[in-house]
Parts: sequence; C-alpha cells; structure tokens
Amino acid sequence: MKTIGLISANYKGEGFGELTENRTLASLPYGGRYRLIDFALSNMVNSGITTVGIISPYNSGSLIDHIGIGNPWSLGRKKGGLFLMPGSLYGVQTAESRFLIRDMLKNIKFFERDDADYVIISSSSDVYNIDFMPLIKHHSESGRDLTMVYKKMPRGEDLSGKGYCLDIDESGKVTGMKTESSGWSCYFMDCCIVNREFMLEFLDWFEALEYMDMFDVVSENLDKIDIGAFEFRGCFGKISSTADLLRVNKGMTDYGIRNEVFCNPERPIFTKTQDEAPVLYTPDSDVRNSTISAGCRIEGKVEDSTIFRSVDIGKGSIVRNSVIMMHCDIGEDVVLDNVICDKYVTINDGVKLYGSGSEPIIIGKGMKI
Amino acid sequence: MKKKKCIAMLLAGGQGSRLGSLTSSIAKPAVSFGGKYRIIDFSLSNCVNSGIDTVGILVQYKPLILNKYVGTGEAWDLAVSDGGVHILPPYAGETGGEWYEGTADAIYHNIDFIDLYNPDNVLVLSGDHIYKTDYNKMLKEHESNNADLTVSVIEVPIEEASRFGIMTADEEGNIVKFTEKPKNPDSNLASMGIYIFSWASLRKALLEDHVDPQSEHDFGKNIIPKMLAEKKKLIVYRFEGYWRDVGTVDSYYDSQMDLMDNMDSINVFTSDEKVFSNSNIYPPQYIGPDANIGKSLISNGCTVYGAVNHSILGSGVVIGEGSVVEDSIILPNAIIGRDCRIKKAIVNEGMTVEDRTEIGDPDGKIVVYGTSKLSI
Repeated sequence: MKTIGLISANYKGEGFGELTENRTLASLPYGGRYRLIDFALSNMVNSGITTVGIISPYNSGSLIDHIGIGNPWSLGRKKGGLFLMPGSLYGVQTAESRFLIRDMLKNIKFFERDDADYVIISSSSDVYNIDFMPLIKHHSESGRDLTMVYKKMPRGEDLSGKGYCLDIDESGKVTGMKTESSGWSCYFMDCCIVNREFMLEFLDWFEALEYMDMFDVVSENLDKIDIGAFEFRGCFGKISSTADLLRVNKGMTDYGIRNEVFCNPERPIFTKTQDEAPVLYTPDSDVRNSTISAGCRIEGKVEDSTIFRSVDIGKGSIVRNSVIMMHCDIGEDVVLDNVICDKYVTINDGVKLYGSGSEPIIIGKGMKI
Repeated sequence: MKKKKCIAMLLAGGQGSRLGSLTSSIAKPAVSFGGKYRIIDFSLSNCVNSGIDTVGILVQYKPLILNKYVGTGEAWDLAVSDGGVHILPPYAGETGGEWYEGTADAIYHNIDFIDLYNPDNVLVLSGDHIYKTDYNKMLKEHESNNADLTVSVIEVPIEEASRFGIMTADEEGNIVKFTEKPKNPDSNLASMGIYIFSWASLRKALLEDHVDPQSEHDFGKNIIPKMLAEKKKLIVYRFEGYWRDVGTVDSYYDSQMDLMDNMDSINVFTSDEKVFSNSNIYPPQYIGPDANIGKSLISNGCTVYGAVNHSILGSGVVIGEGSVVEDSIILPNAIIGRDCRIKKAIVNEGMTVEDRTEIGDPDGKIVVYGTSKLSI
C-alpha cells in the first residue's frame, strides 16, 4: 500500500499580525526550535512516506530557507523525496482557503506520475505527532474514497469556526460537515487519506470550481463521495491566533504533551539544525516551568515561557507567559508578561510590557524597544 | 581531480586508556564534551573554518560510534564532492593486513590515499585536542619558510616542560633540537602534536621509516628526530591561545568546566569560528516548576526537575525531583533519578542512576560513574 504525502502550506494565515506579514504560517517559529511545518513533515516521514509534496504560497522565502532540499527529514533522496510546488494566490470565495483545487490542478503531475495507492493530505500548521500507518490500514480496509482524521473536542474547547466538524453515522461514514457544533464535536484536523486514482477523478469533476477549497467542495458533495472517519486520540494543538500561539507554546511544558509530541523516541520531530552551544545559566538566573533552547544566555528570571535559540536575557529581567523567538536581546530589569517577540528583537533596559493571555503584545521582527 | 594545497590527517585510533571507563566502548575522539559536542568536533570544525575540505580520519580502536557520528561529514559542511571526510581504518592488501603500529605507521598505510589528492602539504592532527585555530596562519609560515615540517608549539612554564616533547629553536624559529620529556629543559616550547609536512618530504620519511627495524613508527620518537638528523628544514609555529589535550580525566573535566568558568578559553557561543557538531535533533530543554539552576551549561533535550549547580548537562539528560547535581558533568542521555546527590562526578553516557544514589568522593577527587554504553 504505497502512500505519498501532500502538505498544503498555502494558507492565508490571518490573525497573526506582523508575525505572518513576511512569512507563511507554515514557517512560523514554534516551540523553541521548530517551525510549524516540522510536525506535518515529521509525521509523514515517521510513517514511512518518502515522497512528499508541499504546496507553497507566494511568500515562501522563509519556508524554502527552512526546508531546503529536505535533508533533516531524510527527504533529500533520489527516489521520491521532496517536491516544492508553487501554489496560487489565495482563494477569493473562501477567506480561509487551505487546499485550493487550482493548486492541485496546477500540480496534477504530482498525483499522475506516481503509482502510489493513496495520498495523505495534511495541513502545515497543526501541532501533533501521529503515526499514519493505522490510518492507512483503516482506510484501505474500509474501501472508501477518502477518510478524514478528526479529534473529539469537549465543550469549551470547541474549535468550530476554525474549520469543519463532522457528523459521523454508526457505520463510520461522514454524513455532514458543519462549521459549528454543540457539545462534543468531531473536529476535522485538516488531514485525510484519499485514493490517488479517486483524487484524479475528483479534480477532473470539479475543474470548474478550481477557485474553491477542496473540502468546501467535498462538504457539498457528501452524497457523491464515500467518506470515512478516523479518530486521532493524541494531543492536538491548533494555532489560529496569537493567543493560540501563546497557549500551544505553553503546552510544551505539560509533561504528557512533551513526552507524546516532542520526546517520542519512535517518532522524533525533525527540524533544521543550527548547532548552537548549550544554554549558559548564570548564578543570578531563575527559571521555572519553561522551555529553553540552545545558545541562550540566561541571567534573569523566566517563568511559564518559551525561549528560542540564542536569546540573551539580562540581569534583573522577568519574562513571564511569553514567547521569545530566536536571537532576541532582552536587556536588564525588563518585564515581559504575555508578550510574543519575533526574531531579532531588542528590548532595552528597564522596559516593561504587559499583555494578556487572550491578547498578547506582539513585537515585530527586528524591532528595538 | 583538482590538486589540493593541504589536506588533513586526523589521528583518531588510540585507545585513550587514561580516560578509563569513558572510553571503554568508544574511541576518545567520540567521547562527549561540553554537553552537546564530541571531542573530534573541535579539530573537524578547525579544518572547515580554515578552508580545509579534505580530511582523513585514521580509526582503529572501537570506532563504531565515531564512524556513525562522522557520517558523511555533512554536519561540518564536509560532504563535498571533491574531497570531504574519509574514515580510514587499517585494511588488508595482497600479503595480508596489519594494524596501525604507531602514529607515523597509520599515515604510512594511507600513502595511497594521500596520493589520490596529491596535496602540497599534509596537516597531521590529533583527535583529542580542544582548541580553536585557523590553520592557514601556520600553513602560511610553513610555505613562506619553505619548510619540510612545521611544528605547532605552545609556551609552557619551564618547570612543567619536562612533561612535554620540547622543541629548542634558534632565533629564526628553526628547530635545532627535539627532546621528549627532558630532565633539564633548555626551552619551554612544547610540541602540540600538530604538524604540517610538505608531502614530498613526509612521503620519503615514511617510506624510509617503515623499513627501519628499530623504529616505533611514531612522529615524535622517530620521524621528527630522523628529519632533524637529515638537516631538513624544521620550524616552529608559536600557537597563542587556549589549547588543551584531554588525555586524562582531570584535564577532560577541567577543560569542560573552562567552557563556562573561563570565558577566555573557548567561546562556543560565538558565531564566527563556530564549533559544529552532529547532534541528534532534541526538543528544547524543559526546566520544571521546582528546578533550581545555578551557573550551568545545559543542552537541548534535557528535563530538569532538581537542582543543578556549576555543572554541565549533555543532550537528553533527565534530573529527577529532589536531586542535587553539583560541580559535575552528566554525559548525554543519562537519567538521574529522584533525591540523588551528585558531587564532582562525571556520569557516563546513557547511564541510569537509581533514586537516592549518592555519588562523590570524600576527598574531592573526580569520580567517573558507570561505563559508557553504545547508543546512537
């Protein structure tokens, strides 16, 4: 059962302010040393998929810089490997387009030239660690055209409005796709497996709707397509706002999440390495419940935060509930509370910034404050 | 193939027996250093940062981890098509095979390899030195003096000179005498075991030395005295800066502590002359809610719940709740349980230390705990 992977990085990425002004959501730094796309890519290669296509948006500079020829994911290969495929400008019909039909039509050779049985189609910006092998098995045994991966969300953690919730009948068939739900919801994780031959047919049928998102079209044609569902029971981090970014970063300090998503020896999350030195703590440092990356020099206090590589935090400073991206220079006696600093930010001595969990303060790349 | 100006031959085959259990299953150059590095990183990074893109690594003693670690050399930008890194173990020929019998013998057995690249000069390095340098400066002196051999030397206190191989040089830097561990030293210039030979001179010396039944086939004991006796042009290159040979447990411990205590030693934080390494991709470290960290160096992948003071934690180390680690070096992937007391110790790679274990010497001697395990 040969399977290839397709990741769409052609997301609009709204709701992140300056953070996605000059980069794709897929290449948004996350978790101290990762970019969001690392999870989708690692999930593919950890499941034995060695041919992966990435649909890249027009502002793909940082994405290409990060992925290169795919060496960290062992995708720099002769047979198969990584295919970076240009996407189009975003859809006009749906503001939140992710899997544009025209992006797939434009790159239809990716589907045509391979002899794989299945294609796993995945988002590029969700944080989770999955083994796709059970999904492939489930889908192949079901004989359906397409199987969607979902996560059961309790009330209160409702993610509808950020995507689709599925209605699933007793036989496991998807009978409805809604954008709102009540009570427990089966949130569609923007991830599915589809028969390659069916995918080619699908693209042929709906060529005229090329400006639409693939799953918008699917949702209106549930009577024509045989769709199954597969439950993912692991941790799932959805990032669709700066508040999410803060929250899902903090999630890394949770023992269960850290072990399941980041420290799984069977399925490590790969990323581009930069070879920084270990973190240097000085006698004045005081660090609690935080994630710290290589190359940092910590002289101040850090609580409940994520610190990316090569960040300096000066004496007497307090960094709390914050995300500080790589190469930031935090001076002395600074207070940062619920702040997200993009790369290369300088915070001068004595500056105090207080945001909130729902509305963190965002400091754009390279700013000096 | 393009002719090379200089290639490097890195001696990495010795057992390093003075490091005890640290090298019981891995070659000394592959021993962990400074949390995320391995000893060989420093020499390999020096080569790359000096523009030397062809390196032969002579291996013999337990090379499995070293071979895996060096890999294609990609981590040091040494995965290049015209050159790159080559692991060179002893090999058999028509008349059987032999082990490398000494430093010079190891190079002798790879004359064919060096001839493949036909370099003007050969840089001979040890795989167990901690320093940063640009070999081009030494190469420039070697070439401008038209020397057959340039020996990198460092000034040592005269009272300690009897522990080293001492070079006596005239005012122009020509070596006039070489004495291994002299009782009454007349110079304080110690050989660092870093040599640049012009290939033609070295090739000739190796061929002659090979058939000398008296020779131990060692650079210090045989090749240098022989070239000196033949009135070849031998000069010293005065090295300035931080350099350590990590041949003993004490020097291995001290030079790692220098990374955080002595900022004039090796700055691993600087982005120029970066020290590259081939570490696995670990997640960032997690520092727990009740952790207490004093001055320390902590690597990626660590999880710290206890107290760590004046210590170095290698990649993937776990320090359990209530444990106190002081003045110690915990090598990669060691797991320290709860309520342990570890003082002035080196805990071997991949060791599991049970809860409530106490490690430390009452007299303050450095304790090496456990044996190194094969793991990748």
